[in-house]
Amino acid sequence: MTDTSDTVTGASGVTGGMAAPSRRGVLQGIGGLAAASTFGTFTIISRSARAAEPLRILCWPGYEEKSVIEEFEDIHKTKVEFKIYIGGEQMLQFYAQTPPGTFDAIISDAEYVQKLVAQKAVEAFPSAAIPELANYHPKFADFAPMRAGDGAIYGVATRFSFYGISYNKDYMSPEEAQDWSSLLLPKLTGKVGVFDWYLPNLGNASLAVMPNNPTPYDITSDQLAKVREWLLQLRPQVSMFGSAGQPIIQAMIAGDVYASPTGDLDIDLKLAGYDNFDSTIPKQGGIRWQEVATLCAGSTKKDLGLEWIKYMSTAKVQSNLVYTQAFKARAPNLKVVEHWNDDQKTLLHYVPDPADPSKLLVEDLIDRSVPRGLPAQQPEREWIDIFNEFKTA
Amino acid sequence: MTAAAAGDAAIGAPARARRMRTPNDSPLKILCLAPIVIWYAIFFGLPLVFLLWIGFWRVENYQSIPDVSLQNYQEIFQNWVVKSRYGLAMLQSFWVASTTAAIATVLSFLIALALVFAVPARRQRLALLFVIAPFWSSYVLRLYSWQTILSKNGVLNSMLKAVGLDDWRLEIIYTQIATRVGLVHFLTPVLVVILYVTVINIDRTLIEAARELGASRWQAFTRVILPLSRFGLITAASFALIMGLGDALSGALLGGGAGASVLGKYPLYSAMLMTDYASSTNLPRTSALATILVVAMVAMMALGVWVAERARRRVSE
Repeated sequence: MTDTSDTVTGASGVTGGMAAPSRRGVLQGIGGLAAASTFGTFTIISRSARAAEPLRILCWPGYEEKSVIEEFEDIHKTKVEFKIYIGGEQMLQFYAQTPPGTFDAIISDAEYVQKLVAQKAVEAFPSAAIPELANYHPKFADFAPMRAGDGAIYGVATRFSFYGISYNKDYMSPEEAQDWSSLLLPKLTGKVGVFDWYLPNLGNASLAVMPNNPTPYDITSDQLAKVREWLLQLRPQVSMFGSAGQPIIQAMIAGDVYASPTGDLDIDLKLAGYDNFDSTIPKQGGIRWQEVATLCAGSTKKDLGLEWIKYMSTAKVQSNLVYTQAFKARAPNLKVVEHWNDDQKTLLHYVPDPADPSKLLVEDLIDRSVPRGLPAQQPEREWIDIFNEFKTA
Repeated sequence: MTAAAAGDAAIGAPARARRMRTPNDSPLKILCLAPIVIWYAIFFGLPLVFLLWIGFWRVENYQSIPDVSLQNYQEIFQNWVVKSRYGLAMLQSFWVASTTAAIATVLSFLIALALVFAVPARRQRLALLFVIAPFWSSYVLRLYSWQTILSKNGVLNSMLKAVGLDDWRLEIIYTQIATRVGLVHFLTPVLVVILYVTVINIDRTLIEAARELGASRWQAFTRVILPLSRFGLITAASFALIMGLGDALSGALLGGGAGASVLGKYPLYSAMLMTDYASSTNLPRTSALATILVVAMVAMMALGVWVAERARRRVSE
């Protein structure tokens, strides 16, 4: 862990990436360039080039949208460049194939932060530097995977949501949606749409087989075999695999899919005027994803990087971040409600829980969900093979 | 050597000596060909070699490390029929691509015949323009349009419902039939052009001679037009097969990622390749998977060229 004074105020003393180019450096640069073009994503420069030293951020889509970043650029009289990635593995690869110092901050899925830490890609900062954490839901204010010891943290949660069951209320009742086994009902044969990624699906299947297991990714090989069996049982129910949420939403509107273990697709559907859709987390639990803002160890602009993290932790910014074109999500800062109207609060479940008015509905969903993780006892390839087998069954 | 042949040879020798020089004999032809050779070498040859090469690399700490390792291929073939079952996906791809190629070729041939024989010569270019017009729009948009047409509550089923044919509801979305629909729509404009050029170049006097010698329209078609179109048909079918094998979009958007066919609910190999990369971001392994697909396509192309060449020779004889 690095002390704050070193990390932040000492930023100017950090050597930048302007040393004489070595052969390896040049090759890495070419590799990075090749990777950037190969992977087909692109850099979005959010504002015209009016500042010499832009802040460079590697992130999921959404953070680059004007409604999210414009105020930061105006306040700090800087511009921010974004490199967009899709998937934690791609993020790691982009990072590994660029010279140190290329990025100042990274938005990472929480489960990938430990891999970034192992590569010494990110460094800790004191949680006290982020005053907005006081307004966070307790599970995100003291977010276990981010702890770095001595009151320091590796990252701050910026948005999250769930992989529960999204369903068409005309074909599935709210009671049925409370149980993962309902996806096996005969009336849903050939009517389930699945997000085409092994990690959330195997995590949910793990919870379906071992209800309310706090560590669904840390399971034995015997338990993994049961997960595989459950998935193979589910296969006849599945009509389509969507590479993103949008194709599944499309299929739900068209009536080709009645339910999907892909969480809160109902947000987009309701925003489009389709009120016959809803989503929930089954009683056995569901997977929760969360993104965190981290500070790059090789950054030459750590002060500004930390300012950006502070900015992203504010309720106002998060109230826009969860409503971007790219994603609809939830905000860990519970003060977001102050920036929303009643419809927005209802849509995202930031309204009192009828069963326990002392807390919000979203808090109940947080309590019932488990963070997405990485396979702990088996190589990731083994889990991918099981998912591929599920697809080809 | 016979006397006649010797005579021919004697005449041939000075004839060769006097032969006029053509642009083909000019040393400048190398200069003229150079740009296209360089273009293909840089934008086709090099990336292909790079792809083949990366297949032998390995991944360490999320970085692709140059190596000469067969591990990626070993792992893929260990998973060919079990676990990830890439072999089943390849089988599905060949089944979908070959049936698509057959349907698209027949359909395009009929359109080409109609263009050549039913449309007045002065209108043919305009008609051809209409046929290839869909090619100007985005392929993805066309697939989404088909999704709207083929889905459960889509245009087709709504029309059936409107005319009281509720029981005839079509459920082909997220099957490989829908994948083929998207592919056929994608391929037809190109195949029509290939086949139009083939059919328009058939010597009309041969068809007229056949008719005057008593051949029916069907006999003239089967004994003159079809044999003379064989080369174009095989070229078009090979092209369709290769495109069908490599396409992942139609299978993802209309086929639902792992749509059912008579073989079963298997994804296409190209779609599996994409999701495998998205899950692991293992470029060397993905390159090895892609190389296997390239080899399969080259084999198909070689077979197509061989059959087409045989057909051409038969026609020449």
